[in-house]
Amino acid sequence: MSAMEKVAWVELVVSVVAVAVVTALFPWLGNGALGAFGLLAFVVCGTFFLRRRGQAVVVDERDREIERRSTRIGIESAWIGLFLALIAVVLWASYSDRATVDKSLLTWLVFAQFAVCYGVKGLVSIVTYRGQRSAP
Amino acid sequence: MRNCVRDLRANHGSLTQQSLADQVGVTRQTIIALEGGSYTPSLALALRIAKVFDQSVEEVFWLED
Repeated sequence: MSAMEKVAWVELVVSVVAVAVVTALFPWLGNGALGAFGLLAFVVCGTFFLRRRGQAVVVDERDREIERRSTRIGIESAWIGLFLALIAVVLWASYSDRATVDKSLLTWLVFAQFAVCYGVKGLVSIVTYRGQRSAP
Repeated sequence: MRNCVRDLRANHGSLTQQSLADQVGVTRQTIIALEGGSYTPSLALALRIAKVFDQSVEEVFWLED
């Protein structure tokens, strides 16, 4: 497993854990559970795998190509998700004759966007690495 | 795109995937993906690999019909 594949695993796991913790704490802490999105900061732990050991190459052109592609797909997914979620919120607010939208919902959407971005990025990277490894 | 890197390595004595990777400046996983045909190298990498085997790029890499 290459260093960048390990980084992708870290991004995927941290994103899923952050969303899971927020969801799990929400019944008890309410909007305070949004603080658990701070767990997303642990994605920087992935850089631990990028330490250079001796003369060995850690990241090469294939890694950079996969990183570029997965980042693009991750960002696009997050934007599409946020856009659709905001449309849904506006439609719901209009339909139910509510003049306001709960600000914690918007905060949740913004942080969820980051989680989706890193999660999708990590997933796409892992799938690409595995696909290249299992090719005939 | 296909290549004969695996065959060339075998003909070059004990040239391992790791030693080839070190010589051309990539990871061993990239050599594995390249030999498996699942990764198309950049022109620079293709040139470096061809140089290691003292061949032209066309002799190492070619397009599938």
